[in-house]
Amino acid sequence: MVKKIMAKTFLGTVLAAMYLPILWLIVFSFTNTTSISSWRGFSFDAYIELFTGSNSDDILKAIINTLIIAVCASAISTVLGTAAAIGINSVKSKKIKFAYKQTNQIPMVNSEIVTAISLMLLFGMFRSFIVLEGEVQLINVILAHTTFCTPYVLLNVLPRLQQSDNKMYEAAMDLGCTPTQALWKVVIPDILPGIIMGFIMSVTLSIDDFVITQFTLDGGIYTLSTLIYSKASGKKPLPIEMRALSTIIFIVIAALLLYANHKSTSEQKKKKTNTGAKKSPKRSKI
Amino acid sequence: MKKPASKFAGFTRKYAALPYGVFMAVFVVFPLIVLLLYSFCETADGSLSFQFTFDNFKKVFSEDNFSMLINSLLVGLYTTVICLLIGYPVAYLLANKNYNRSSVVVMLFMLPMWVNFLLRTLATKAMLEFFGISMGMGTVVFGMVYNFLPFMILPIYTTIQKIDYSLIEGAADLGASARVTFWKVTVPLSLPGVFSGITMVFTPTITTFAISKMLSNSKISLIGDYIDQQVKHLNYNVASAISFVIIIIVGISMIILNKYDKESTNQGGGLW
Repeated sequence: MVKKIMAKTFLGTVLAAMYLPILWLIVFSFTNTTSISSWRGFSFDAYIELFTGSNSDDILKAIINTLIIAVCASAISTVLGTAAAIGINSVKSKKIKFAYKQTNQIPMVNSEIVTAISLMLLFGMFRSFIVLEGEVQLINVILAHTTFCTPYVLLNVLPRLQQSDNKMYEAAMDLGCTPTQALWKVVIPDILPGIIMGFIMSVTLSIDDFVITQFTLDGGIYTLSTLIYSKASGKKPLPIEMRALSTIIFIVIAALLLYANHKSTSEQKKKKTNTGAKKSPKRSKI
Repeated sequence: MKKPASKFAGFTRKYAALPYGVFMAVFVVFPLIVLLLYSFCETADGSLSFQFTFDNFKKVFSEDNFSMLINSLLVGLYTTVICLLIGYPVAYLLANKNYNRSSVVVMLFMLPMWVNFLLRTLATKAMLEFFGISMGMGTVVFGMVYNFLPFMILPIYTTIQKIDYSLIEGAADLGASARVTFWKVTVPLSLPGVFSGITMVFTPTITTFAISKMLSNSKISLIGDYIDQQVKHLNYNVASAISFVIIIIVGISMIILNKYDKESTNQGGGLW
């Protein structure tokens, strides 16, 4: 019992310490001091400034850019990664599997900055053939984000494929489906949760990315993270609307992830009861 | 007996991975080759002249960079050790059914991983300033631990969770005390997680730029900041050279990790 209390206290303390600065930021988004270190009464000024202030246009543009990149890169990654998973799952040769595995690992284990530099050099080479200017540069960033999102999609889809029964696919074709029909009507619905999980992961990874975006985008075009960096790296204190923005981003990401987590645990539960396994103990207790 | 239809289907499905393969070749493998070329070449006005040279590496390890390299090593070492000291107990308790059964709590520990590190660092900085702590090595390490702790907890948590509980019961049945069981069974079996946690903390710590700059008022610069600086000054070759060094470091730790992995997943078969 004592052990249990000690353990809980320890976990609680670490969690509290981890969240303290974020909570700090959230609390201080509701006051209007320029520096975050003194409290000057409750106000919504930061939020008003965020939506109507002089920087609001830039912020809106950055948000739009971030979303364009996240959605495009995630969509491409999801298609590429899912197709790849289906392909790799049906490849028999161990050597080819090994090659795919190793390549898939590279963007995940490589240092972000190394990926960033190498892609920057690549796009620099492209520049001698075609010059992308202004908003068109986003194509580069989308491609860059696709490189580090696709491996995660693949890793989310592949286990699903391996769990699913290949006989279903064969049965569908025995019953007269063409391979394409069997793919869309049997395989894809079966692995859909993995595909959705991969997509959500890609979106959060892409929105969260800073280093790779910073090196592949320039010329006054910003995404949220690079905009925050450009505002934060100067000598001036961080503009107050950035606090409000950070709070909103944090809450959105937290909601997305808690939703994804809830979804996957409830699905596991469903599976357990379906197969008649012993019901897992109550999980909702914190 | 195989029907021609399914044979054909196997054929098409196999080739579904090709676009991915091409994409990865162009945007992952090829850029790394370019990087390698850059690090061993000289550049004149941005154009590559294929003159083999070690100068870039000499520049990286020159005396001017001595304090930067030492600082990187120290910050990386302190951060990794502190993360391990906090992260291991956390992961152990989270994976232990006696202490935690909630997946939401696990989620809460992982959540900061998904929040932009710039935001987290800004928040940390504001808090440190509030308490009047002067910026320096200490605050940089603090910020790094704060940023990368989840990356230590996650792999250790997953490996401990995978440990076959009957092994622990077996040890207890054979007379081992809880402490002995922990040191002789749990710890050795969780080593792959520990090792992967160490790589996942150490490399980002020394290579992520901006954190050290923000938390030390630009007093301490690490490898990441150095690369950023070189790129700003268009010294792509030097930036490539140091990136290459990072690749080697990561590569070596991956090889060691793979060795561990093979030993521990031999029974399981693994994902691939």
